[in-house]
Amino acid sequence: MAERVVVTIGTKKGLFVAEGSKTRGKFALRGPFGNGVPVYSSLIDTRGTPKLYGSSCNPWFGMKVLVSKDLGKTFKETKSAPAFPKEDGRALANIWSIEPGLGKKDLFCGVEPASLFHSSNGGDSWELVSGISNHDHAKKWQPGNGGLCMHTIYRDGNRIHLGISTGGHYLSEDGGATFQAANNGVGAGFSPDPYPEFGQCVHKIAGHKDAPGRLYMQNHGGWSEWTGPGGSRPDIGVLRSDDHGHTWRSIAKGLPTDFGFPIVVHPHDPDVVYVMPLEPTTRTCPGGSPAVWRSENGGDSWRKLAKGLPKKESFFTVQRDGMDVDHLKSPALYFGTTTGQLWIGRDGGEEWDCLFDSLPPIHCVKVAVV
Amino acid sequence: METSTSITIHVPRELRVECDGARELSLSASSVRAALAELERLHPTLYRNICDETGAVRRHLNLFVNSAHVRERQGLETVLVSGDTLFILPAVSGG
Repeated sequence: MAERVVVTIGTKKGLFVAEGSKTRGKFALRGPFGNGVPVYSSLIDTRGTPKLYGSSCNPWFGMKVLVSKDLGKTFKETKSAPAFPKEDGRALANIWSIEPGLGKKDLFCGVEPASLFHSSNGGDSWELVSGISNHDHAKKWQPGNGGLCMHTIYRDGNRIHLGISTGGHYLSEDGGATFQAANNGVGAGFSPDPYPEFGQCVHKIAGHKDAPGRLYMQNHGGWSEWTGPGGSRPDIGVLRSDDHGHTWRSIAKGLPTDFGFPIVVHPHDPDVVYVMPLEPTTRTCPGGSPAVWRSENGGDSWRKLAKGLPKKESFFTVQRDGMDVDHLKSPALYFGTTTGQLWIGRDGGEEWDCLFDSLPPIHCVKVAVV
Repeated sequence: METSTSITIHVPRELRVECDGARELSLSASSVRAALAELERLHPTLYRNICDETGAVRRHLNLFVNSAHVRERQGLETVLVSGDTLFILPAVSGG
């Protein structure tokens, strides 16, 4: 069968699947799956026969993990969802991330309250990863607006990077047995200490397999006019690391604002990185005029990409997992909005079209060519 | 002499898939807590939809014994007598 472009769209009312050809002209939409229940994370697992996963975060009946083995024509629940041991005292409140692990059936799942679970059988059973979930710092982490969530799991061989809001960036260099806070250079605008050891409100972390050790971070920025303890903290929102996340430096100069949620790296060039700047107070598009910004030199400078996007009166938010990029030769970006639009930016974001304009509020977007 | 307390559990439509489509379940339990424990033993996936891993009833579910919400009685310690019906009802919430 010819390769297809598959997009999973997690929304407030369930999971949608869009499918199109490699030309990416038109997409057919399926769903919603998950009976009108919010979906905050999804995964298109391309190891072997493709599988689609979605977290169905049911406020009435608890958390489920949905899986599809037919490219999103049908979904069913895995045999179990992550759950804390009964004696632990914590209860699962949300599933924020699903990512592949090392083995073909290995999965990781980041949850609220901030903890990590691992499955070795494609999600049918889960075990708590104690090294981070019971970390000495865990009881000091504080919830952000979205709750105390582990939203980012980025694996690089035996290294695992985690993003916790608000806990900061944690790094394991032993396959997940132990984790250390790694926030040198990651600022926090909401604490008296501008650079605490941990407790930052990291929004998203991304990397590239061809640039080992380099990472990009969208941190909680928007503190340039802060007048509280510790003084102003400009440009702490968009960061880069070149040493596997041990230290970070700002790359926010040139952006209209350093606040935003997603950060995405070009599939074929680790120097090309995309962010979606938002007004820090409203968390909506600056001036009502949405734009993705692209750097082609690893964050040294930025260029606005807005051709085809509304020029005014657009006040949506793109959430932390709401933007992704496909891996075709000339890749397209995709972002979903809290006003229910799915946009495609062909030719690396040079020109934008709205694929679907009346979906429920969108939490997450993932794309793969399968 | 101890006698068994036969009660009925009303299963909400959304959860009947977890108990072979049954609208009602009959079991023996002398309190709401005991009834939930029996559910955990007999229908573990149904139970996990009603209670979280700490054993607490999920926040957006309401339990009634006949017409009385258990919070107006003795919560999970509410005593059941033969013939009682324990209703499990999702709260009307969302948007």
